[in-house]
Amino acid sequence: MLSTRILHAVWIPLAWAVAAGALLLAGWAGWRAALDRPVILRQLLAGGVVEVLLVVQAVMAAVRGATGDGPADSWTFWGYQLTSLCILPAAALWAFAERTRWSSVVLLVAGLTVAFLQLRLVQVWA
Amino acid sequence: MTGAKGATGATAPEPRGETATGPGRLVVAVYAVLAIAATFRSGVQILRDFDAAPLAYALSGVAAVVYVLATVALAQGGRWRPVAWVAVGTELVGVVVVGALSLTRADLFPDATVWSGFGQGYGYVPAVLPLVGLWWLWRTRPRGGGSAR
Repeated sequence: MLSTRILHAVWIPLAWAVAAGALLLAGWAGWRAALDRPVILRQLLAGGVVEVLLVVQAVMAAVRGATGDGPADSWTFWGYQLTSLCILPAAALWAFAERTRWSSVVLLVAGLTVAFLQLRLVQVWA
Repeated sequence: MTGAKGATGATAPEPRGETATGPGRLVVAVYAVLAIAATFRSGVQILRDFDAAPLAYALSGVAAVVYVLATVALAQGGRWRPVAWVAVGTELVGVVVVGALSLTRADLFPDATVWSGFGQGYGYVPAVLPLVGLWWLWRTRPRGGGSAR
């Protein structure tokens, strides 16, 4: 089906874009952690951009699933997808609560986790 | 940062035995990720084909419960500390015993659990995390004869 093909053609590059964005965010957070600085608003805005891409990705996956052509292992897929959606908001909440370098370390781990989940998502997607 | 200064509790508003602030955030965050991963994995395994590897999947379920418990207990701190000690200790025993068994008695584990091969499938995080957790619980232990709450 044509729409499915377009979905495939867009979804996988989008996943890599999310992973790249998450890695950049992780690098930025790691840098701030090394400087002994907490997370700043600009990092949360960057995280927001990644989160929007994640929502777009989830919607596309849902559309694909609705056409009856979802990933073979849909449980695992949605487990990864929903988890990846929750991670950055959780890190953002902690960024407000913890105004020390440890919010940066948490954001670093959050970014790496999101990037890793994208890798797993791409593997399960096919 | 809660270093030696924070540990003496001169100005810290938190009660003693706090486990979820400062470096503890990292510990809780990594625990939360592992708890979610273990819960999803065991849920899928148990619901889909429990009969394929009953021991491995049952252990996955136990591991998931222990990780969730450890995450909650570490996030709460205070009165939850004993729970955290037990949960994190259980993980250490689990990853060592199951890790060793999965290598020596592979027939018992036709499919992997979170603890197989000492947490190999999860970048050995399951092996390192209990050590970090125990260290952190010890670091944040209440001192100075305060009440055990």
